[in-house]
Amino acid sequence: MTDEEREGEGETRASIEPGSEDLPSSPSSSGYAAERGSTTATTDSQIEIHHDDDIEDDIAIEIDRISVSDSHSSWIPGKRHLDEDDASISWRKRKKHFFILSHSGKPIYSRYGDEHRLAGFSATLQAIISFVENGGDSVKLVRAGKHQVVFLVKGPIYLVCISSTDEPHESLREQLELIYGQMLVILTKSVNRCFEKNPKFDMTPLLGGTDIVFSSLIHSFSWNPAIFLHAYTCLPLAYATRQAAGAILQDIADSGVLFAILMCRHKIISLVGAQKASLHPDDMLLLANFVMSSESFRTSESFSPVCLPRYNPSAFVYAYIHYFDADTYLMLLTTSSDAFYHLKDCRIHIEMVLLKSSVLSDVQRSLLNGGMHVEDLPPIPCSGSSHLSQHMLPSDSPERFNEPNSSIGGPAGLWHFLYRSIFLDQYVSSEFSSSINTPQQQKRLYRAYQKLFASMHDRGIGPHKTQFRRDENYVLLCWVTQDFELYAAFDPLADKALAIETCNHICQWIKDVENEIFLLGASPFSW
Amino acid sequence: MATIGHNNLNAKLVLLGDMGAGKSSLVLRFVKGQFLEFQESTIGAAFFSQTLAVNDATVKFEIWDTAGQERYHSLAPMYYRGAAAAIIVYDITSSDSFTRAKKWVQELQKQGNPNMVMALAGNKADLEDKRKVTAEEARVYAEENGLFFMETSAKTAANVNDIFYEIAKRLPRAQPAQNPPGMVLVDRPAEGARAASCCS
Repeated sequence: MTDEEREGEGETRASIEPGSEDLPSSPSSSGYAAERGSTTATTDSQIEIHHDDDIEDDIAIEIDRISVSDSHSSWIPGKRHLDEDDASISWRKRKKHFFILSHSGKPIYSRYGDEHRLAGFSATLQAIISFVENGGDSVKLVRAGKHQVVFLVKGPIYLVCISSTDEPHESLREQLELIYGQMLVILTKSVNRCFEKNPKFDMTPLLGGTDIVFSSLIHSFSWNPAIFLHAYTCLPLAYATRQAAGAILQDIADSGVLFAILMCRHKIISLVGAQKASLHPDDMLLLANFVMSSESFRTSESFSPVCLPRYNPSAFVYAYIHYFDADTYLMLLTTSSDAFYHLKDCRIHIEMVLLKSSVLSDVQRSLLNGGMHVEDLPPIPCSGSSHLSQHMLPSDSPERFNEPNSSIGGPAGLWHFLYRSIFLDQYVSSEFSSSINTPQQQKRLYRAYQKLFASMHDRGIGPHKTQFRRDENYVLLCWVTQDFELYAAFDPLADKALAIETCNHICQWIKDVENEIFLLGASPFSW
Repeated sequence: MATIGHNNLNAKLVLLGDMGAGKSSLVLRFVKGQFLEFQESTIGAAFFSQTLAVNDATVKFEIWDTAGQERYHSLAPMYYRGAAAAIIVYDITSSDSFTRAKKWVQELQKQGNPNMVMALAGNKADLEDKRKVTAEEARVYAEENGLFFMETSAKTAANVNDIFYEIAKRLPRAQPAQNPPGMVLVDRPAEGARAASCCS
């Protein structure tokens, strides 16, 4: 089936909602080939940036009222609108739905509404997938008006996103991949065996109590750049502080720990892996989401099986998890199911060292100060002498004295930037300037970056080296080299030449402070 | 496994039972004196320790609060292996949770430490008007299976400390049976059991 046909078919099925519940669920889906390679190369890369101030959740309005710069910190976790189903007007109006269902059409997870009440709708999705599969093809994408329906088949598990958010379908597919990965973190791939034994297996009980893990992941699809950059981010810390944390983690990693990870919220303080073991940024993201979204880890030390899908999707490793304070937590991963007491001893040792070397208080200070502020971008590249901590101090240093600047952002109208080091698999995101201080504005910028990223990496027309675009919201500049990717947002009236020059300055600035914003050396990322 | 110092006893205790029965709530009431109306699901298992003075000895409980979700059932041996005591918790307002509790008892009888002190806790005793499992039914079952039984309420704290005290009192008495030949091999049975089945 070509894309045109697929699009055409999309139109005829434009309204998946009305009447389609009557479609019989096809029971004949057992004979399909799993994980067939994608041959889709869609040629639609619309570059226009649309107004995207749509609000997916009513919650967003509340966030705005609280008006915080850190949109995710005030997000209220958990599943909402449980009373809805596919007959509800409100349910149909939701901008972005995610579904997990089994190959027999049984619902497993739905972002909105009660799964069991969506059985008919799930069966319909299953019918579409198996209809196309019976023709020896696989359905990837259906466009229906402003809706995109993206399908992902993972063995006996089907994942579907129905979205009118105007995100690139590549991004939506990646989000489905991450949702599948999150499911593996909880259950491993061995869940497939349940379907081999019983194709009509009901998987919902197996995921009991994990709604919050998925809803928190889905929420991060609109604020966490790690989702599309596939990279880590570090908490900014003095080089010596991070070294001290790394050294103590290294000590215990040598005693049979697979990975030792010290984190502050979703940012890495330090990470050490056993020899030859490497931790993929996506695994890191899913693991951190799993731990942070589950309140149970905060009450006490825990020992829980988790799966790292990129490391080994078929097996559990065991995670010892302990929070040092409300934000900072330690994860020690091991392959041995009876290592708890050893890991507990390791933690006590680590905690002692961290307290003695004041790492934990440095972490709290960094959290308060934030990372790179665009207002602090040095006006001229001044290599060698620059330190991040200087810029974080609210002193009357020369960089700071230009106060009016801070109300409109950094030099040349710079509002925000994202920098990803390709070699390190790490990225750094600046703090949001006051021009983008509402969650809606931040989400809109996030979506703009996401779209920019997709267009830069489009396999059909890309990859590109630079892109400059201007619309009524921003000037966006993207620059991709072998070593890094830089995404920067400016005032829509910013001068092009100045903006380009500013990007050079950003790169120089990052080089100057890379000791503090990245985890360098002995990194298990790039083996 | 329980191990004796002078007058100190270290005892591994595991809580098992259906999700939502109130295992975490019982532990948090016992260890921290807290109660949350909406206790979140436990992931994997949470570890707590609490020391009790019983007569002239102290008992240090190392408590494993396991997750009740089905996906963790196959991993339960990892937590109950070598345990000196177990509290099997059900919710008096749910017959299903009582059925589930009986299955846990069966599993422990088959797989667990034969000298394990087992307690059956009918939790949420404050919800009398929603009761589905009678105290009599549970008591009879407990007697038949050599468990001791209490109805508890993590919310009102009724019988929560009592059940842990009762376990603590029974532990030393269970001890001699554990090592019939003498005092030399106190730790061995635990180590042996652990090594033998570490890959379950």
